Amino acid sequence: MKNFIEKLLKIDRRVIFLALTLLLVFPIVRPLGLPNKNIGNEVKALYEKIEGLPPGSFIMMSLDYDPATRPELHPQAVAVIRHAMRKNLRVMILTLNAGATGLIDEIGERMPKDIAPGKVYGTDYVILPYQPNPVAVMTQIGMDMYKIYDKDRDGALLKDMPVMKGIRNVKDMQLGMCITGTAMLDYWVAYTADKFKFPFAGGTTAVSQMGYAPYLQTGQLKGLMGGMKGAADYETLIGVKEKGTSGIDALSLAHMMVLILIVAANIMMLWLKYL
Amino acid sequence: MSETMMIFGGWVAAGLTIFLFSFLYKDNPFFKIAEHLYLGAGMGWVFQTMLFQTWIPKVWEPLRAGDYYVLIPSLLGLTLVTQFFPKISWVSRYGFTFIMGYGSGLVIPLTISTDLMKQIGGTISPFMVSEITRGNATSLLNAAIVAIGFICVLFYFFFSVEHKGVIKKASNVGIYFLMLYFGAAFGNTVMGRFSLLYGRFDDLYKYSGERFHYATFVILGAMVLYFIVDHFRTRKPAVEEEAA
Repeated sequence: MKNFIEKLLKIDRRVIFLALTLLLVFPIVRPLGLPNKNIGNEVKALYEKIEGLPPGSFIMMSLDYDPATRPELHPQAVAVIRHAMRKNLRVMILTLNAGATGLIDEIGERMPKDIAPGKVYGTDYVILPYQPNPVAVMTQIGMDMYKIYDKDRDGALLKDMPVMKGIRNVKDMQLGMCITGTAMLDYWVAYTADKFKFPFAGGTTAVSQMGYAPYLQTGQLKGLMGGMKGAADYETLIGVKEKGTSGIDALSLAHMMVLILIVAANIMMLWLKYL
Repeated sequence: MSETMMIFGGWVAAGLTIFLFSFLYKDNPFFKIAEHLYLGAGMGWVFQTMLFQTWIPKVWEPLRAGDYYVLIPSLLGLTLVTQFFPKISWVSRYGFTFIMGYGSGLVIPLTISTDLMKQIGGTISPFMVSEITRGNATSLLNAAIVAIGFICVLFYFFFSVEHKGVIKKASNVGIYFLMLYFGAAFGNTVMGRFSLLYGRFDDLYKYSGERFHYATFVILGAMVLYFIVDHFRTRKPAVEEEAA
């Protein structure tokens, strides 16, 4: 028995990689449909905030993520935009991360197809071009956004668009949101939300989710989505099953495997030490 | 995007993903190619985005329209490039001076307000009389845990007093709060990494379909073949191994 345990503890790590691969791939090929029953309070708060906005309200969404964090953050963005469109809210999408432009193009292409069929570009939503120097953009958007964004991403005059009617700065907007895997959310909170008393929410990677808890406690953030679980929670709330929900199967299996490995390795170590 | 380009993109994406994952087995030239392409392609993407979405609409078009004020920030920005030429690198100080002055003026007061004053306020406010009278027991308990954790962790990082007696006990409690935070943060990190891995596998599955001409299977098969050939090619002869 002792020899067997010692052999197991020295197992080639590539075997564990292979097992993990199989566990993550299996639910993609054969979805298990495991339920997502624990909806986070922070996600619920964001959902209720958007749900409570009257039709025609204006939401600014800063999508500041790149392909590296796409699996976690892209489903969050799609879910919130889908919800906002369904509630007949106006949405302005922008980015301060050059790597996000391709992903925003993808959202733009999906909008008339499946995210918001029937909604019109320029009337219900608008996409702004990438801008460098985030802090300058954030402060300017609090005062007069047309001084920094005079045209949309296709070069059309922004002021002339029906979607921008009555909008000059963040005081005319009902909610701001930043979805990012960087420190961009911190900047938005400091330079726009706090400074101009602008209701703000966030979407982050699971890694950085913990760091934003203080902002939730103080009310500086009205809601927060963390990682793929946050996206899955939001999809559950709006009743749409997409990439976030489908990832829950894989995550549940992978977490189960990690737990089993941790417990088994500890039992084996104790066995070798005391028995 | 045309169908051909879509299929080509699928092959490139599947190939690069498999090349990068192949490092988990062992280092190989395909991994190196993908690694260098990642850096190059990333920089290329940022460059074209800057060029077409910033430089042309914000500098080139205003200049052509006769707005020469944009020359001021443009020249300040260009001074930073002089860092590459030692003889005139002093010119870059003008650009940096502007960045430092503007950045500090903006960052310092707002950071103090957002990350210090509001956080202290958020820790104290639940214990104000008006809040206690209308608050429920659970929220008060939560606030008390946050406040105790906050104070104890501060004691742990307070090095000007010897940690003994009450201060040692408080700092020890602080260690437990820190461990709880690290544990939760690590758990979230594991979840985040699995999510990213799932994302890649999800894409690989998509590219394994008929629409992409089974790109994933073909490239994966080719990689396995490479490793088999490489194994026999680099294997030392048995006689040599024995002699060694």
